[in-house]
Amino acid sequence: MNSNKNTANSLIPAGPKLKENCQIPVNPAVLATRYATDLIIDVSGKEPQIRRGKNNEFYIPLGEKEFLKTVPVLSEKGFVLISLFCVQNFEDSPGFTLFYVFRLNGFSGIFAFMRNARKETTSIATVFPSACWYEREIRDGFGIEFTDAFDKRRLFLHEAYPEGFHPLLKSFKNGKIQAVQNPKETYHFKQMEGEGVYQIPVGPVHAGIIEPGHFRFSVIGEPILNLEIRLFYKHRGIEKLAEGKKPSACVPIAEAISGDETVANAVAFCTAVEKIAGIEVPPRASYLRAILLELERIYSHMGDLSGMITDIGFPRMTTPFIILRENLFRQNELLTGSRFMRGAIDLGGVKKEISGEALSKLAFYLKTFVSQFESAITAVHASSSLIDRFSTTGVLKKKLITPLNLTGPIARAAGASYDVRLDHPYGIYKDEPPKRMTKTAGDVLSRFEVKAAEVLNSASLIQKLIISVPDGPTVAEVTGFAISNIPDGYALSMVEAARGQNLHWVYVRGGVIDRYKVRTASFCNWQAIEHAVLGNIVPDFPLINKSLNLSYAGTDL
Amino acid sequence: MVNPLTYVFRSKVTEKFKFSDTELEALGSELKAEVNQVFGHSLAIRELDSGSDNSTEIEISNLGNPHYDVERFGISFVASPRHADVLLVTGAVTLNMAEAVLKTYEAMPSPKFVIAAGDDACDGGIYKGSYAVLGGVDKILPVDMKIPGNPPSPKEILRGIFALVKKASG
Repeated sequence: MNSNKNTANSLIPAGPKLKENCQIPVNPAVLATRYATDLIIDVSGKEPQIRRGKNNEFYIPLGEKEFLKTVPVLSEKGFVLISLFCVQNFEDSPGFTLFYVFRLNGFSGIFAFMRNARKETTSIATVFPSACWYEREIRDGFGIEFTDAFDKRRLFLHEAYPEGFHPLLKSFKNGKIQAVQNPKETYHFKQMEGEGVYQIPVGPVHAGIIEPGHFRFSVIGEPILNLEIRLFYKHRGIEKLAEGKKPSACVPIAEAISGDETVANAVAFCTAVEKIAGIEVPPRASYLRAILLELERIYSHMGDLSGMITDIGFPRMTTPFIILRENLFRQNELLTGSRFMRGAIDLGGVKKEISGEALSKLAFYLKTFVSQFESAITAVHASSSLIDRFSTTGVLKKKLITPLNLTGPIARAAGASYDVRLDHPYGIYKDEPPKRMTKTAGDVLSRFEVKAAEVLNSASLIQKLIISVPDGPTVAEVTGFAISNIPDGYALSMVEAARGQNLHWVYVRGGVIDRYKVRTASFCNWQAIEHAVLGNIVPDFPLINKSLNLSYAGTDL
Repeated sequence: MVNPLTYVFRSKVTEKFKFSDTELEALGSELKAEVNQVFGHSLAIRELDSGSDNSTEIEISNLGNPHYDVERFGISFVASPRHADVLLVTGAVTLNMAEAVLKTYEAMPSPKFVIAAGDDACDGGIYKGSYAVLGGVDKILPVDMKIPGNPPSPKEILRGIFALVKKASG
């Protein structure tokens, strides 16, 4: 992090330098605009036309020359590429607009650099390695060639899709397509060669009750020399599915992105739409949303904790976690009518009121939960064989966090402190910040401990919220338009899901969704597994995989 | 020679079961009787995700929780389709998974049965009309039983399995 070495330094009030994640005491919007303006002037000599978005994001259109000059500087300054997506016919600009979305430590705002593109453009993946998947995604979706990209393989369109088919083009109307029968094309995995090197192909269909994906291990003896993953078997066309629909009809689509991130994605989607329309979510609804978000985090983490112990074959130790998790699913159902809290979140607030009585019951249950959870954790800590398997296994190096935009508990277990709830606060988290949880070793044990601590933090946060939840309406009252008729505009929103930073960008035009871009934490975090397994033995792969808890559905969309 | 009475009077070494659910127990014992009769005491299920949102998988794995513990009823989830009587499919069938779904089904020995679990597996659900899915599982495999739900709860899945076993016996 060297953001304090640039020209905008003078704008930062006297006192502490821009340390990682510090709060900026002056108007952050002014600061972010000035910072970006100075940076672009510094690089290109031209003043950019910065537009302030509706949710503390800043849109910075750049000419091709300025863009190319700016990219390496962004890397130097420590900007983190958090998304890259394409929009066709954005506002009144025909053709394609690429949005390069960045965050920078110390700023709660998000910087979106806009670049116009034709059918061919250039790659930034040599500067920002995480751009690789995004560029392949854009190539598949829109047919834009990144001519100098080092990896031009298809990403989410596998061999069954005909060449030249690009589903996100406006010219393609969603519907059945003719799949390629017996495709000749095969996917090229990186070849590892040398004496004693052999490959283990695994998937897409795995041995357990889990989602599909392909892992190609190159192994010498037992240690893993290289791992290459191939995903997107579950590509269901979520983004295209939303196009042309009214925002109010798309909440269930957001919920279907990843089953165990139902609330997180519904809240992120609704927040983006609410920001576009200027809808203020009433305080009670904000509290209820946060309670459900934290409940989702707890049950999700419980699955990981039990899964990690299952994967070292220790059922006696797993069972208390599994029992608690099932109890949580039942709490979810009592609270919202759905074990996955489906249909609980809606535009403007929450769909159904949750009574004070139901909340008190939850608070009461959480007391029992916490004491049972603590005793389960104590048992784990007392097991030397378990600690032996967890410790130093699957180490995720801190230096990967920024280049790959790794977020969530897996990054916090490797020395990062980033948490969307604290660094880009939304909803109730502005007033009720959760505790920051960090470990440094980056191994399976650290991930276990960070998740265990987050379970307790979330439980105490829920208890705190239940005490202070205000009375009042649970859905916003809007004037001037119906909630089913959202005015045109666009906004970006982010939430801290159980797995990390989920990003949604919604563009409403003519009352319907013109473009819906989703990027879940798993999309970025999956790329960490190829690094975390190196040098580990193949039998530890399931454990490492579980400790990273990556969603296939949330990545494949 | 073992005295059969010792099985009845010996004390259990497991902890006492605190969450008994009479409805589940009734369903389970009926299911067990059917499985004994129709599948020779054990029903082997291979789960296959053809493009779900992962919630149905979670509910299927929850069947192994102490709350349900369906192995008691003669049901086991197996790793290989070669060992399976039933293919329990979740999710709409995506274009990217179609080939793997067919191969998995073909790898199963006959007689074999297919259950579609979840709204999306039943008829495409929310993904209906998307370029990326073929539709429900019946677009590609002969489906014997459909279990609707978004997602179906563990008990609903168990009821669906029971319905299939009854249907299989004719």
